[in-house]
Amino acid sequence: MWSYALKRGGATAVTLVAASVVIFAFIHLVPGDPIYILLGDTATPDQIDALRRQLGLDQPIIVQYLRWAGHALSGDLGRSIFFQAPVLSVIADGVETSTLLASMTMIWVLLIGVPIGTIAAMRHGSWLDQCLSGAAMLMASVPTFWVGLYLILVFAAWLGWLPSSGYPSIFEGGIANLRYLILPSLTLAAPNAALILRLTRASMLDVSREDYVRTARAKGIRPWQVVRRHILRNALLTIVSAFGFTFAALLSEAVVTETVFALPGIGRLVVQSILRRDYPVIQGVILVVVVLYLAINLVVDLSYRLLDPRVELQ
Amino acid sequence: MRSGMGALMRGVVTMAVALFLNVQANAAEVLREATIGEPPPLDVMVTTADVAAVIGRHIFETLYALDSTYSPRPLLAESDRVDEGGKTIVIKLRQGVLFHNGKELTAADVVASMKRWGQFGARGKLLMGNAVSVEATDRYEVTLKLSAPNGAWKTLIADVNGGLAIYPEEIVSKAGAQPIEQKDYIGTGPYKFKEWRPNRYVELEKFDRYSSCKEAGDGFAGARVANFDAIRFVPVPDVGTRVSGVQAGDYDYAEMISGDLFDQLSADKSIHVVRSNAPIFGLFFMNSKEGILKDNYKLRRAIQMALDKSQAQRVAFGPKGLWDAQGSIFPQGSFWYSTAGTEAYSQHDAKKAKELAKEAGYTGTPIRLLVSTNYQAHFDEATVFTRQLAEAGINVQMMVVDWATLLKMRAQSEQWDIYVTHHGFQPDPILLTFLNPTYPGWWDNPEINALRTELTNSSDQTARKAAWEKIQALFYEQVPAMKVGDAYTYDIASPKLKGLNPNGPAFWNVSAK
Repeated sequence: MWSYALKRGGATAVTLVAASVVIFAFIHLVPGDPIYILLGDTATPDQIDALRRQLGLDQPIIVQYLRWAGHALSGDLGRSIFFQAPVLSVIADGVETSTLLASMTMIWVLLIGVPIGTIAAMRHGSWLDQCLSGAAMLMASVPTFWVGLYLILVFAAWLGWLPSSGYPSIFEGGIANLRYLILPSLTLAAPNAALILRLTRASMLDVSREDYVRTARAKGIRPWQVVRRHILRNALLTIVSAFGFTFAALLSEAVVTETVFALPGIGRLVVQSILRRDYPVIQGVILVVVVLYLAINLVVDLSYRLLDPRVELQ
Repeated sequence: MRSGMGALMRGVVTMAVALFLNVQANAAEVLREATIGEPPPLDVMVTTADVAAVIGRHIFETLYALDSTYSPRPLLAESDRVDEGGKTIVIKLRQGVLFHNGKELTAADVVASMKRWGQFGARGKLLMGNAVSVEATDRYEVTLKLSAPNGAWKTLIADVNGGLAIYPEEIVSKAGAQPIEQKDYIGTGPYKFKEWRPNRYVELEKFDRYSSCKEAGDGFAGARVANFDAIRFVPVPDVGTRVSGVQAGDYDYAEMISGDLFDQLSADKSIHVVRSNAPIFGLFFMNSKEGILKDNYKLRRAIQMALDKSQAQRVAFGPKGLWDAQGSIFPQGSFWYSTAGTEAYSQHDAKKAKELAKEAGYTGTPIRLLVSTNYQAHFDEATVFTRQLAEAGINVQMMVVDWATLLKMRAQSEQWDIYVTHHGFQPDPILLTFLNPTYPGWWDNPEINALRTELTNSSDQTARKAAWEKIQALFYEQVPAMKVGDAYTYDIASPKLKGLNPNGPAFWNVSAK
């Protein structure tokens, strides 16, 4: 397993370098200029040139890339043009929000998707299965911004049970601040739980047709034991893969939910930074996201082995 | 195993209780304002972004400030004297005014700020372009010498938005052309900068040693009293969330609410609707430097003739109470209001427009209209106008880009024929962007230059008004830009806020009791 992890680590490094080149090239190919955003629309050409020189944006792209990559290797992702703060600290703040939001969402997904998917599979074809599958389709189809705005309206504006938006860090206000993430995580959980529910149901149905399941039933093992030990356990491989990708996607793609709930997550940070052409932040965030994706991918692959000893990692 | 499960369950229950408890530990009174987005750096002298000015106005101050009728009144200045027919301006400063770093404000700070503003400030050239010298003629006295008089000098230094905010000398001299760093956000205002958490908030705290004017507060002018311990400006980009946030009590004030919610919120007793008293107006700039519209005033007039501005405003802003399709650049009630030339404002005559375009030699060449989707109103107006122009046989090709791209492209005269933007309310015509010959659009010819000089160099307001009327008539004849119409933005506030400022979000003199 360790040699596998090392090999994967090497491949990850190559992917990272390739990703950083692509990110850098793309963002600099997009027209627009952070200088205009920074200096306002009445800036004079002299002022624009002076700031461009100061920020190093007058250099050829190759020089800019090498300079950035060199600093990135030593752990310095530069300074945000817009926030005038180190990119790492700007991103760290966003990573806290996004990680907690994604984790909380995954808890809902796990609590809703897997048990209900299991029940739907076990009652395959019944009215209960039809109802649960229908509900899942509905949850998957309603746009997240709509769900978010209605949750805010009901639970924040009308009932006043939960805060409407924002998220003060748990490092400042304690664990009670997690209540700010309840509504957004439920919003994000709706479509993702539906996905996991459908996936659990489908893979359990597949596994339940296997010979060993029939044998287990023929041996007289209790139905629930068959489900837990033989069907669910074997169906987990597919579900875990989906879990990994869902979690990774939630970290960086929850832009709409982060915008609706005014959360300082990395999805919103990257979109705002693109609009402002804050190159160092865009590059930094995407690099961090790529690293997170690769890490999650690696963890998922390694977990296959834990879930199913027959899987060999090469 | 069973005891483990029990401990886990107890943990979950405890956490749930903690989460639902309404934690209100802070005794400090904090005003929370939901803004439309993250501001650019708060170097207000350099930037003209409203979101930066709203925050910056609490930190930085100017020599004069605009009252509720948008007339300049002394703020950091105590008195002034104008000599040599307006060419020498002597300003006496109030004594005992402290910066947030404890240093006393003196003429040296004003001189250094004025020099940087003249060189790099967004609106600095308007006054300092004619400056011969600026000197500290006493510890509390500044003397500005100009090569020609400037009738709008006091108005030009009466707001922080791209204006002459006074910074400490050592900070302003060090910064030069570069934006001032966060640690140097030091002004003389009633609130001082505390911290900026990216994507979370900008927080200001009360400045206990603030030295206020004696005159009663009026608009942005007069006495300023900080009633809150802190103000937190929170970027909340979604308008629905801003509204729900105020309804839920999470924010005390929310900016820029959309027109479609106006009627509903006006009827809501739990919310106070604050409509701006100063309209903004959409502007479609014509390219006076290059391309098909350069010097072709007839074609420009044909374009304007084809348009129904009311229709565009109805689509862009919604309820009638939020817009006014009128052609005067300044709204009714303003000293500068005039009907000169406005008969050409919104004729909506496709037939005549077609004839006029033909006379102008127009043969159907596509006219490139540059517009951004970042401002929905810009895009709505452009869409309506494009259709109206098609009816008059004028072929408009919309180029839709994001705002950052538009800012860059509009500086390149070969890239566009018309671009869409909007203009904030200004207290004096000299501050209008289309009068600036270097502003993209580049309205620069002998007629306008002569009138501009006439407007600027006189200190007699009646003569200046006459010059302005001639400029507005020329604006409709040469059409360097088209005014869409007046739009009144509105904000919402918690009804518990008392003493809200009629000029816009400024939270000194506001209290929650």
